[in-house]
Amino acid sequence: MDLTQAERDMLEGREGPARERAMKGLVQLGRAYGAPRMVEIGYAHIHAGMALYLEDVELMEELASIDARMAVPASVNIANADTVNWRATGAPESLARLQRRAAGAHARLGSDCTFTCTPYWAGHWPTWNTHMTSIESTVTIFCNSVLGARSNRDGFFAVYAGMTGRYPLFGYHRDEMRRGTGLFLVDAEPSGPSDFSCLGFHVGAAIGDGVPVVAGFARRPTLDELDALGAGIATSGGASMFIVPGVTPPYADVEAAFGGRDVPAPTRIGRAAIDAVYARYRDAHDAIDIVHLGCPHASWEEMKHYARLLDGRRIAPGIELWITASRNVRNAAAEAGLVARLEAAGAKVISDTCPMSCHFARTVSPDPALGVVPPRLRAVVVDSAKQAKYVRDMIQCPVLLTGAEEAVETACSGRFVPRGAP
Amino acid sequence: MTRRIALRGIVEGSARGPILPSREAISFLGDVDIRSGRVVGDLPSVRGRSLAGVVLVMPYTRGSAGAWRFLHQLFRHGNAPAAIVSGTLPDPSVVQGAILSGIPVACDPAEDPWPLLRDGAAASLVVVEDRAVLEIGT
Repeated sequence: MDLTQAERDMLEGREGPARERAMKGLVQLGRAYGAPRMVEIGYAHIHAGMALYLEDVELMEELASIDARMAVPASVNIANADTVNWRATGAPESLARLQRRAAGAHARLGSDCTFTCTPYWAGHWPTWNTHMTSIESTVTIFCNSVLGARSNRDGFFAVYAGMTGRYPLFGYHRDEMRRGTGLFLVDAEPSGPSDFSCLGFHVGAAIGDGVPVVAGFARRPTLDELDALGAGIATSGGASMFIVPGVTPPYADVEAAFGGRDVPAPTRIGRAAIDAVYARYRDAHDAIDIVHLGCPHASWEEMKHYARLLDGRRIAPGIELWITASRNVRNAAAEAGLVARLEAAGAKVISDTCPMSCHFARTVSPDPALGVVPPRLRAVVVDSAKQAKYVRDMIQCPVLLTGAEEAVETACSGRFVPRGAP
Repeated sequence: MTRRIALRGIVEGSARGPILPSREAISFLGDVDIRSGRVVGDLPSVRGRSLAGVVLVMPYTRGSAGAWRFLHQLFRHGNAPAAIVSGTLPDPSVVQGAILSGIPVACDPAEDPWPLLRDGAAASLVVVEDRAVLEIGT
């Protein structure tokens, strides 16, 4: 790889042991993927240090202890416990304490400890052509596809990129990758994030790790719908980017989305394909324990919508309604009086984590000393195809997928209300 | 008798251990129990086998953005493979997890190793920059 003097200084340890370690890792990654050089990044969405994984918080503490610092603006991905309101989730205090140690490490690293999968709703909004890195695939696809920034689906190395301000030039940092590989025409009128999440899940399974061009919408999707579309696509497949012509910078139309290559024959998507994703996540169940809204973590607009749906309503006895949002969005919603309205109906507003990311997960292996015992949940109702997949895979309990409006009806009535039911 | 096979080096380091040949691609997220190190996925050639300390040889890696974390958790639990040999370039998440965990990785063998691989035979992998050598007992 062709490195600048500044990059060689980091690689050879003249910038301290933390940057040396980070640059050595990035150079190996770049060499493996044929990167000719590094690019300067403008933003990093990095690993939290997760309290449910053995010695994972310690990984971040160790970096802080060797004076690692973020060289660019950095936000922090979702964590395993609400660090303030853990009691509302039934998590042991030991877990919340360990998770708070990660927040302490991030304070030293200089990252904005957002503990969220939607840092963009918390003000981290990279713009067109900004090279960046993200550990969270939903953030990668939103930033590539809605904002026009350039990001791969990364793992831990988002931390190393943040520490050095560099990332090897490969993948979605290169123009050649940012072109459509398949065309989907929407012959339906999806409405709201849950429909878009199902549409995305269908598209993601069909496109694999390519770039789907999704066209034919009767109107411009909202930001919340685009967020849900990306989360769905990234969940069922390996895609890092979608293109909605006229929305995704800089693609004005379908021809531009394919970058001058032949436009392939379109695959048409009707309402039946969207409904099939709802049907896929409709498990047999005896009773419902938790209804969840806010995957990915809710925006302020979604909080407003939930508050309107719940005004004058009351959650049924024996059911918990969880609404998950970043602490930034939660605080803004609290100032606007939205959290009080949600709580008046009996909802719990949870930050820093979500059902699949908290102590409900059975696929993790925490330090036994934490005393984490996942509860047996009878069923979880969600309005996101992403949460549905991971509740089934990680919590391993029955899951039911519906729309946000129907999820609120479910929570208030105690009986599952499928999407589109009268 | 030993045989040496040249490969493309991906993650630097050197390690030795018994060969575990997997006919199927392994996804570190989902196919392996991090507490025991055993393969729990539906992979007939290695189901139930432990990855701890082996030189793992497989045709390719199955991708997932979370693979790095589960490979690193195998390492933290003392159950990580000593080295990974993949027929094709592993996905970036596996590479990141291997670098973080100090597990050497190589791919693109210069000759087909499959006829030479004997389950449990002693092997070593040495990776320096982009050159790697797999030495196997036959």
